[in-house]
Amino acid sequence: MDATVNNKIGTAVVDRTVEKTRTHYLNNGHSLSSWLLTKDHKRIAILYLITVSAFFLLGGVYAATIRLELLTPASDLLESGTYNKVFTQHGIIMVFFFLIPVVPAILGNFLLPLMIGAKDLALPKINLLSWYFYMTGGGLTLFALIQGGVDTGWTFYTPYSTTFSNGYVMLAGLGIFVNGFSSILTGLNFIVTVHTMRCPGMTWFRLPLFVWAHYATSLVMVLGTPVIAITILLMALERVAHIGIFDPSIGGDPILFQHLFWFYSHPAVYIMILPGMGVISEIIANYSRKKIFGYEFVAFSSLAIAVFGFLVWGHHMFVSGQSMYAGLVFSFLTMVVSVPSAIKMFNWTATMYKGSVSYDTPMLYAIGFMGLFLIGGLTGLFLGAMGLNVHLTDTYFIVAHFHYVMVGGTVLAYLGGLHMWWSKITGKTYSEFWGKISALLVFVGFNLTFFPQFILGYMGMPRRYASYSEELQVLNVFSTAGASVLGIGLVLPLIYLTYSLFFGEKAKSNPSMLPGLEWRTQSPPPTLNFDETPVVTWEAYEFGEENGLDIEKARREATV
Amino acid sequence: MSDNHEETHEHMGIPKYIGIFLALVFGTILTYFTALTDLDTMLFAGANTLLALIIAFTKMTLVILFFMHVWWNGTLIKLTAVASFFWLAIMFAFVMQDYLTRGFGVFNK
Amino acid sequence: MATHTNDHYHPPGLQHQFENMKQQEESVSIGMWMFLAQEIMFFGGMFTVYLLYRWKFPMAFAAGSNHLDAFLGGLNTLVLIVSSLTMALTVYYAQKGNRMMQVVMIVLTMIFGTVFLGVKAVEYTEKYNKGLIPFANWNHKTPKGEERKVATSLIETKVSAAENKDAEHTAEHEYKSSTGVFEWKDLSLPQMAEKEGFLTEWEKVGYYSDGKLNEQKFESKVRIFFWIYFCMTGLHGLHMIVGLGLMLWLLWKAWLGSYTAEYYSPVEMAGLYWHFVDIVWIFLFPLLYLLGRHFMHGGH
Repeated sequence: MDATVNNKIGTAVVDRTVEKTRTHYLNNGHSLSSWLLTKDHKRIAILYLITVSAFFLLGGVYAATIRLELLTPASDLLESGTYNKVFTQHGIIMVFFFLIPVVPAILGNFLLPLMIGAKDLALPKINLLSWYFYMTGGGLTLFALIQGGVDTGWTFYTPYSTTFSNGYVMLAGLGIFVNGFSSILTGLNFIVTVHTMRCPGMTWFRLPLFVWAHYATSLVMVLGTPVIAITILLMALERVAHIGIFDPSIGGDPILFQHLFWFYSHPAVYIMILPGMGVISEIIANYSRKKIFGYEFVAFSSLAIAVFGFLVWGHHMFVSGQSMYAGLVFSFLTMVVSVPSAIKMFNWTATMYKGSVSYDTPMLYAIGFMGLFLIGGLTGLFLGAMGLNVHLTDTYFIVAHFHYVMVGGTVLAYLGGLHMWWSKITGKTYSEFWGKISALLVFVGFNLTFFPQFILGYMGMPRRYASYSEELQVLNVFSTAGASVLGIGLVLPLIYLTYSLFFGEKAKSNPSMLPGLEWRTQSPPPTLNFDETPVVTWEAYEFGEENGLDIEKARREATV
Repeated sequence: MSDNHEETHEHMGIPKYIGIFLALVFGTILTYFTALTDLDTMLFAGANTLLALIIAFTKMTLVILFFMHVWWNGTLIKLTAVASFFWLAIMFAFVMQDYLTRGFGVFNK
Repeated sequence: MATHTNDHYHPPGLQHQFENMKQQEESVSIGMWMFLAQEIMFFGGMFTVYLLYRWKFPMAFAAGSNHLDAFLGGLNTLVLIVSSLTMALTVYYAQKGNRMMQVVMIVLTMIFGTVFLGVKAVEYTEKYNKGLIPFANWNHKTPKGEERKVATSLIETKVSAAENKDAEHTAEHEYKSSTGVFEWKDLSLPQMAEKEGFLTEWEKVGYYSDGKLNEQKFESKVRIFFWIYFCMTGLHGLHMIVGLGLMLWLLWKAWLGSYTAEYYSPVEMAGLYWHFVDIVWIFLFPLLYLLGRHFMHGGH
């Protein structure tokens, strides 16, 4: 360890005066091909960041349209057929092109190799291929939307999707099919990387919980996604050939489609939430300056969620016509799968207890996550009870439930993580003031949007309807008002984070003296991540000098 | 310091490969001819199907262990191979449990 | 002791993100197995559809199965097994660093793979001629006035043989259609099942209308069987074609001598893929061609 602030990278000998020309992954090559043909996991993460954000905005536009239509009871802004297309496309874009890749492909891609002390992911070319699959799938789906759209609901239920729908079902299906490979390859890459690329001393139980969460997610990606692929293929073939495998008049069963569809789509929601939970573990540990309580329990709970998540898909089909016995089994297992998530919640809370908590933007998002995921998760349990499900299914209660876990959960976790690691990713600091404002707006706006929907659902407002009965209007107006606030809260980061790229203060490598390996390299990191391969001799989340953190060096850098 | 690959870890010799091959051929011929005989009346209903599946599983196991070298691989690969089939089994079991329990007459007529 | 990432001896083929060949081989191997795991789940979806409909309509499946040429299917199985052997030997010779034998084995593997596809083409053509392709009327369209009698595989049924049934229910039927539509005339199996009493609940509803065996309804179930047959073998065939492409690339690299005792993991990985495709067929053959065949050979 040098006493002088000297970073020897490649052939550039840097001293303080030329600090700003230090080579790192962002300025290591400026041509288009150095970005589009990159093998650097960090650049690929940035590519994903830009494209996933674009899809998020598009999905948000659809959401705004839905909320505008639902301001009034009558179907006056859009006619029903168009409304069907709007909510379908909102669902497809948000689920497949935003929620599934957002944390793994952006934060996971960027941070996983850094956190385990590796130079890159195990299979960098596969990583790039993954992004191209994402772009191709996204392009095909967008093309389907431009051509005229799909109106089957993002769930593509038969026989409507196979027999009656006039939308561009096959094209949209093809887009999702191709996009699935993006997921599979990312998951595959993560699994291999965690097994083989850990630096010396980085044993499994010294891994950050972010890595455990992504490992569990990757298992789900690899084992679940191919099933949606074959399901879409079957639906497309059925649409073309009309054989009748999903047609009851011939002896086929539409519920077979639902079984195959939900076999993936339920684990898919765990793909959406598990990485987010990994981010929350990191935020809470870092902003409480304390090791996560019950580290092994949290690590194993991720694996448990991944495994048990495959056994509960029938809870989407309680009223579809599956047998009562199957419903019983699925209902029971749904109760079981909630236990690992609860373990995490308890452990996060216990971590904060007697920790040195600082309420910066990422922590605000994390605390928001805990509250909102609690509500979302509990309402999921309500829905898992078959009797209650009969009353609440296909109502706004369901809509509220999954938005609580997906937006209140995944989006908040993503934003928290993006803010926490922003300085590492970009080397710039954002405005903490605007960060806190946005977090507050998101929290308030979100609750105002979706809490009324629980009540609406309980009162019987069906989902996917452009019109509703008069007495439900007040709550709908609240919901739309909340959506405006939420929208502002979500757009603000776009503005101030982009602003920070150009005008933000330069960030130090490890201003808060955090113990993770990703903090022990420069902000932004050099292309090969570390000047020297780290050797880990300390446990995870050890705040203090025993973990090899050079406090003196950090203090020096902080004051310079 | 650099890794020297002296150990050419060839897994087994040509005679053993041919041996496994012959076992697979035997399995194929066996499955073909037993399919033509009616074991269902001779033994129990479903015997033909069971035997065909047993033979197929055995052939698959031979290919996985010896042609795909899993016999010599570490625990992780062995676990991966087993886990994939386990997941397949989950899909079959949980889908069929719905169909097998329909119309029981206990909860619905 | 920190390892340095700059110049020391780099074995050929070592990628920059890895420290040594062993790490690379291990990574590539785990990666390939993860890919195969997802392929298993992919085919698994279709096997689930097969499982369900076979359980629901066993007689329709038996009927369709008996119209497949089990001999050709068995032959194809043997062809694939031989190709698996030659593939395994390719890896063996790569491990030994024997360039010539590697190339020979790859060529043999490709030959057998192509034979497999050729036999499949023969089978598909036979289906086309017999009016057994279940979609889009993609069967032979008999032009008006043509006398066309297509010999189908003879099905001896206990029912028709013992009771000397009239012509329309014996084994052979001629396929003559101007529109190329899927056609199925052989009702002997459900009749036998009805007589012997082993129709499933689904079949008792699915084949009958007004208490009588309905040809149209039975035909729609047999059509499902053929659709599954074409989808599964088609998907499998697609994977074979990809495999052959992989072999071509491997052939080129092997010819150039890229694979030595030190660096042969691409050969091994290609081998894993090839063996996987073989395993899928090992299951497809009995499940599609053989189950239900015993009904036709003096059984039950």
